Amino acid sequence: MFAVIFYGLSTLYSVFLWRKGFRRDEWANYLLLAAGVALHTLAMFKRGLTLHSCPINNLYEATTFLLWALGLACLVYSLLPRFKFLTAFTAPVLFTIGIFALMPSLDVHLPPGAKPEFSGALRSLHAATILQAYGAFGLAAVAAAMFLMQQRDLKVHKLRALLSLLPSMQRLEFIMFRLVAVGFVLLTIGLTAGWQLPRHADKPYFSDTKVLWSALLWLVYLETLVAYKKFGRTSRRFAIGIIVTFIFLLLTFWITNLYSGLHN
Amino acid sequence: MSVVVIGLSHRSAPVELRERFAFAGEKIPEALAALRTSGLASEAAILSTCNRVEIYAVTPLAADAAVAELKKFLIAHHAYEGALGDEVYSFAEPHSLHHLFKVASGLDSMVIGETEIFGQLKAAYEVALAHQHTGARLNKAFQRAFNVAKHLRTETNIQRGSVSVMSAAVELAEKIFAALSEHEVLVIGAGETSEKTARALQSRGVKKITVTNRSPERAVALATELGARTVPFENWPDEFERIDIAISSTAATQHILDRAKLEPLMKRRKHRPLLLIDIAVPRDIDPTVSELDNVYLYNVDDLQSIANDYLDLRKEEVARCEKIIAEKVSALLAANKFHTNVGRNQD
Repeated sequence: MFAVIFYGLSTLYSVFLWRKGFRRDEWANYLLLAAGVALHTLAMFKRGLTLHSCPINNLYEATTFLLWALGLACLVYSLLPRFKFLTAFTAPVLFTIGIFALMPSLDVHLPPGAKPEFSGALRSLHAATILQAYGAFGLAAVAAAMFLMQQRDLKVHKLRALLSLLPSMQRLEFIMFRLVAVGFVLLTIGLTAGWQLPRHADKPYFSDTKVLWSALLWLVYLETLVAYKKFGRTSRRFAIGIIVTFIFLLLTFWITNLYSGLHN
Repeated sequence: MSVVVIGLSHRSAPVELRERFAFAGEKIPEALAALRTSGLASEAAILSTCNRVEIYAVTPLAADAAVAELKKFLIAHHAYEGALGDEVYSFAEPHSLHHLFKVASGLDSMVIGETEIFGQLKAAYEVALAHQHTGARLNKAFQRAFNVAKHLRTETNIQRGSVSVMSAAVELAEKIFAALSEHEVLVIGAGETSEKTARALQSRGVKKITVTNRSPERAVALATELGARTVPFENWPDEFERIDIAISSTAATQHILDRAKLEPLMKRRKHRPLLLIDIAVPRDIDPTVSELDNVYLYNVDDLQSIANDYLDLRKEEVARCEKIIAEKVSALLAANKFHTNVGRNQD
């Protein structure tokens, strides 16, 4: 709850920075977001201690883990020269998903003394790597938004582009590609680990909603990377593709979870 | 004892008069010695640039008398026989310190916020210091002026941005490319402005430049100047596979590059970002090429408009800088118990 409040404050400050044209290099927004991520880490740690496992057992926990991965990756990447404003673009995403995650119906508790049906290192690896992959895709979408804004400014609002302290187009493009590539590798590891997990014989694997959705997502990101690297897709289309795919991911993540027999 | 300043600048005097009163660099120590032996000043420094000639002096005389004597010295030293009126300005404390701080910060320069004057003022001070013509008061005033200039540079936008067409082009290039040293430049047309722009890019790390021109002799001459290579004019489109920045300034009456011509070239260069700087009038490059992905086109009006906008931004910062300077002058006067006998004496 407190973490989401800090994400909210960071979002408000981001609006202020946006109105000012990202001209001043400063740490206030980074510190607000860092405070949010620190509280978030503490909450997840306490929950993990209670459960004696990685806290990714229901939709609430999965969502907060995704948020945490996104926030942490943002804090790390913001330390790169001229990338401090990544926080201003990430904060609204964290705040929006954070508000959604606070809906009480998402946090379904197990009966007292009960344990998740499947647990262990492989399950944790499956869930954690996939959610970290989503975090990387989210951050790539944030970098893509920065890229498109900077590109528009360089063509239309030239002085604003020069006055802003955003990174160069080439660096943004490189970061976008790297984040999508890292996310794709993590997603591949996570899906492979998921395939190895024990499952009920009466729950079909290849027709499960979440499995199909994940396979579709994997194919879309593969196509994005191959088209960009091998077939000369322009960086603008690459950026738009990353944003659209991540919005699709956000909008369908919860629905596919709810309709997945394997994940309920 | 107080600091007074007397001088002529681009604001008060035409260049013909400024050059008449300019001090040759090697003659300055001699002039400073003359000022001190005359009893007119116990400490002195002379700043002489193409835009201003100023004498900063710590004098035992009253401000009005000191200014009159300094003016006589200036006229006598340059054996000037004409009449001098408002061309010469003078300030006594605290305005003399305020003026010194403004000069050091580039607020009194022809191009507001320019930094060259900082180096020139520092050199003038160092000459006076090396010949032992400064003392506690002038040392403190100049050192504080340099600190204030640095403070304004970091805390305000007074020196931010490019106020020339060439530097605006370089700044745009740095917004597109991560490191200019990794990118090649093609200069189409061996004009003076393209040479200056290419040099500005070279100063920021560009290593490889190719020059092309209708007249091969001029291309070779410019390439020699820039340490570049040349290609025949009819072959320049082939260079687009390698280069990332093109500066065009030919005398062509029609576009030499349009969308139809650039689209296949962009495919060949796998849609890598391309910066086109069109400084020709009439324009060499069809403006519709900027609709292509990863093509950034700027013509001379775009660049001039950026330079003008930056200048406007600097002007907006002047009031803020003046306020900071006023505070710093007050702090200096309070800290050192400088005399506060007011006076702006405009001759």
